[in-house]
Amino acid sequence: MEAKPETEKKEKNWEPKILAFLCRWCSYAGADLTGSSRISYPANVRILRVPCSGRVNPLFILKTLRSGMDGILVSGCHPGDCHYTAGNYNARRKFAILSRLLEYVGIDSRRVQFSWVSASEGDKFAKVVSAVVADVKALGPNELFQLPDFGQMTKGPASPDP
Amino acid sequence: MSEIIPEVSKDGLLDLGKKLFDERRVDYFLGYKKGTVRFKTTPLIAGKGEDLQELWVEDFCHANLSLYLKEIKGRVGILAKGCDSRSLVSLIKEGQIKREDLYIVGIPCAGQVDPGKAAKAASCEPEEMEEISRRGQEFVIRANGQEKILSKTQVLLDKCLCCQYPRPVIFDSLLKGDYVAPVLPAARAQDDLRKKSVSEKWAFWSGQFERCIRCYACRNTCPACFCPRCIVEENMPQWVSPLPAGGDNFVFHLMRLMHVSGTCISCGECQRVCPMEIPLMKLNEKMTDDLRELFDFVAGVDLEKVLPFRTYRQEDPQDFIR
Repeated sequence: MEAKPETEKKEKNWEPKILAFLCRWCSYAGADLTGSSRISYPANVRILRVPCSGRVNPLFILKTLRSGMDGILVSGCHPGDCHYTAGNYNARRKFAILSRLLEYVGIDSRRVQFSWVSASEGDKFAKVVSAVVADVKALGPNELFQLPDFGQMTKGPASPDP
Repeated sequence: MSEIIPEVSKDGLLDLGKKLFDERRVDYFLGYKKGTVRFKTTPLIAGKGEDLQELWVEDFCHANLSLYLKEIKGRVGILAKGCDSRSLVSLIKEGQIKREDLYIVGIPCAGQVDPGKAAKAASCEPEEMEEISRRGQEFVIRANGQEKILSKTQVLLDKCLCCQYPRPVIFDSLLKGDYVAPVLPAARAQDDLRKKSVSEKWAFWSGQFERCIRCYACRNTCPACFCPRCIVEENMPQWVSPLPAGGDNFVFHLMRLMHVSGTCISCGECQRVCPMEIPLMKLNEKMTDDLRELFDFVAGVDLEKVLPFRTYRQEDPQDFIR
């Protein structure tokens, strides 16, 4: 069990895992439209519905990166279209700072991406996801953190023989 | 800010403090006293006029005293360097303290001496240093009977070398002295790391985060970190594992940075107290520069200006968004 993620990542036909935070009012409906319009897009994306892009705490993004997801997409309503009037404006400020900080500590900006997708932009959603997947594929797997081997840590030093 | 600015001499400071107690304008007075270790000061928390006898202002007033306002209830007189006064402004804006509860005495600061750094530059142990004194624009270090002349950049705290507000931004009284930044803006060192490639940056920072032992000294000493319960101690759900492993250290440091953005005034306390000497100020500086560049916001300077994450502009930059 221990080495499984490693071998999985080294395989030639490795496929990236992308977590997408989609706003409930625009991007989630947009993704729904992509499906109902039968537009195909890469299956690498796992969708997490959030009430608003403003709900996406920078901590979510950091935690997702730390847990080994290869890429992140945060998507919300276009400026001016927010269901809560200003949620996406507030989010935009946070993301601007966060994405610059991530870049500064050495995380490629292609790993954490942001987009505006409205409920009527099913085709745009497919395009955005394809672009993100292509970017992350070019970057390779997220090997930023070696997850601690908890099995070994709980074992501790070998106990002396009684 | 009071209309009349009484300038106080160093000897007058004691009288001023006592007067504040006598007139019942303050319940406590926060200052510095000589530490038990040479070239260090400890915070002095005086509850009555007599306690002020130990008050001491020199080149080693490192601590940002605004930190202690979290714990102290009541009206407080406080000594503030330029940077500390910005912390006070930040905390007032965040609603943590009230301006009318404070009596701020600005103290002149031409940079604070970092004894560890000075010892390293003079290639001796910190315990061997007998005296650190200013001579014009330079410092003279006496150690093992020898005198060594060092430049400001070799002796002063890193944060002082990029100081932009040597004069307190708010105060009730001002101590007599020169309020000049130690290094002129043009001569300030640039962060070379910013020009490097993404992989080089990661190589640097992953090495730094790996060393972090998660003692949380940076958080505990930060005036901008005022949550009664910190998210790192939250365990339902647990956002950050307490294990000092590289990945969680990364989450912790970046999260801390996001939490203090807009309030952090680069007082440099986090880096000063770090036992692993992680250059946290590089991160803080980057964040404050970004805030200035993107949102034209400088923390702790203007009491009126709204905090950057409490407002927005329609024309905010969004070139990073697809």
